[in-house]
Amino acid sequence: MPFGETIGTEWAWVIPALSAAAFFLTVIFGRFLPRQGAYIPVAAIFLGFVLFWYVLRDLLTSGPASFDITWISLGDTRIAWGVNVDRLSVTMLGLVTFVALLVQVYSLGYMKGEPRQGWYFAAHALSAAAMLALVLADNLLFLYIAWALVGLGSYLLIGFWYERREAAEAAKKAFITTRIGDVGLLIGIILLFESTGSFDISTIFHVAQSGGISQGTITVAAVLLFLGAMGKSAQFPFHVWLPDAVEGPAPVSALIHSATMVAAGVFLVARMLPLFELAPGVMLLVAGVGLFTFVFAGTLALVMTDLKRALAYSTISHLGLMMLSLGAFGLGAAIFHLVAHGVSKAMLFLGAGSVTRVTGKTEIWDMGGLRRRMPVTAITFVIGGAALAGIPPLSGFFSRDAIMLAVMDNRGPAFLVVALAAAALSALYMARIVLVVFFGPLKADNEHAHESPLVMTVPLVLLAFTALTVGFIALPWGASYQGFGDFLADEGGFHFEVWLTALTLALALAGVAAGWLTYRTGHISHGQIARRYSGLYRVLVNECYVDDLYQWVVDHVVLAAGNFVALYDRVVINDTGVDGSALTVMLSALRLRHVQTGHLYNYGLAMSLGVVGLVLVWWLVLA
Amino acid sequence: MIELAHFQVLSAGLFAIGLYGVLARKSAVLILMSIELMLNAVSVNLVGFAAFVDFTEPQRALGQVIVIFVIIIAAAELALAAAIILRLYRSRSSVNVDEIDLMRW
Repeated sequence: MPFGETIGTEWAWVIPALSAAAFFLTVIFGRFLPRQGAYIPVAAIFLGFVLFWYVLRDLLTSGPASFDITWISLGDTRIAWGVNVDRLSVTMLGLVTFVALLVQVYSLGYMKGEPRQGWYFAAHALSAAAMLALVLADNLLFLYIAWALVGLGSYLLIGFWYERREAAEAAKKAFITTRIGDVGLLIGIILLFESTGSFDISTIFHVAQSGGISQGTITVAAVLLFLGAMGKSAQFPFHVWLPDAVEGPAPVSALIHSATMVAAGVFLVARMLPLFELAPGVMLLVAGVGLFTFVFAGTLALVMTDLKRALAYSTISHLGLMMLSLGAFGLGAAIFHLVAHGVSKAMLFLGAGSVTRVTGKTEIWDMGGLRRRMPVTAITFVIGGAALAGIPPLSGFFSRDAIMLAVMDNRGPAFLVVALAAAALSALYMARIVLVVFFGPLKADNEHAHESPLVMTVPLVLLAFTALTVGFIALPWGASYQGFGDFLADEGGFHFEVWLTALTLALALAGVAAGWLTYRTGHISHGQIARRYSGLYRVLVNECYVDDLYQWVVDHVVLAAGNFVALYDRVVINDTGVDGSALTVMLSALRLRHVQTGHLYNYGLAMSLGVVGLVLVWWLVLA
Repeated sequence: MIELAHFQVLSAGLFAIGLYGVLARKSAVLILMSIELMLNAVSVNLVGFAAFVDFTEPQRALGQVIVIFVIIIAAAELALAAAIILRLYRSRSSVNVDEIDLMRW
């Protein structure tokens, strides 16, 4: 293909540019086009996905490359718009374009007949463009701009049904919660710029590794960057926005839970990992936060009765697993899990959207037996659930195994034991969701349920196929490809510990079996367990009161402080400072205005006396 | 023999008379005439000093030149001021400056 020969890594910037152009085209011309221009973003992301393969081929033959154009020159400091095409960014390009493409195609069916759908697709294009720019960015300033745009895109998408109060509130919550982390990220970027004089990521690594930055600065900067990643990737204690974000349309959840929003945080830590590795304490913090989030969100996912909310806690839990992997120096494993989880979770949310759209229900206990009415959705959902539960040979099995290996090698037995327990837990809650929704007797009011149209089931099937097969990229295929970990981060060839793999697998199967006995055959009564530990159950169902705690802090600390500031503003700044000085001027003017008599001779006399006075001064004093 | 001091005394006297007229007279026309007196006092001063400088200096005629300028400007100013006073009289039927106090607080 002669045309294709000319397309290489230097075309990578076109991928986000296409979606960005699609955003503007849809917003401006969408109203004149069929379906309000919904096909423009789909076409743009499809072209992006095609280009990804050309970029990947050129990357494999010619190696990593980077391109930039100067944006700002300040003396010796040069700030560029630059793209960095390496294996990490190309992997992310593939994930984002693939998931975004299928989600947008699915949306063509899901949002059919929706008013304002042009805006919906435009916001999808904006999100995709921002995320694609984020993964390609070669300097932190550009990355931060894309980072903020990803947040904006998610805000617009979550709040797409803004007529519903919950959706509008959820969008605000997502935006504000992540912005809190973003402040840390911004300060971290400024700190790094101040100590290295550059935003360029590779320059920062170079300076840091050659000892150009003090150890303290590296630690502080890494913690601040991680704060931003915690906000975006919904790590405890910033996780509260993600469960609420399911108020948006289901494809939006599918997108932000897999390819855009939450992936950005993991990607940031992965991209900056050479910096983090210089601060061992921060690596331990990353691993600790990840592990805690993994366990904490896993327990909450077990008790949520809202389908999408349970899936959201599952996402938080798996993001914790990725952070744990990064904190255990397992870069390849973390990104592999990001890809595996992204594909599976996108499919699960699309499946959940398919179910909810047909039955009109969101509570899992109102569903049940839907596999008879919606076979394609059910099969793909089971595949996605099994992939996340870590059943071989699905993708989640390989990625979790790699993560456990990294944890064992670099974080020791304590981390490993807790992580394995949480892994069993994630198999259990996945089994619960799948079994309750799709198995058991069909509810009477769900008799009318039917399978979704092809435009929605085809993306589901494609994602299911990918979830089934993507795990095999972990394996070595030959001399030039020694497994994904080696491909991404030169971590050496694929390997595994037989006992660890067996243990992980046994725990996952035990989790599934426990789920089967509880939610399918009824040998274990979840109602009895909930009653016996009613205190614990109440805490879990209320999501550990984290939202209530934040609400209390806002009411009693933030608003109280705000009231004090408002009082200070009113009394000191306004009444004394502004109104007070104005009043003084007015009162003095009322007294002094009598000088203005309006009589010519008064002015003339004053002028003459003034001249005489000046002459006297000159004569007596100065001369 | 006329000394420089004579010019200065004449000039100062004329200026004082003019100033008194400006401050004490009520008629705008007389005030205008007093201003002319003050201008002429300045002119006398200038020609006086010009007459006593060293005539070998290149700028020896400067005083006289400036006086001619002053006369021209005074003529222009008089035309303008007379027009203003005329308009004032037309609108108020008086040129008494005591009655003109629109600028009062």
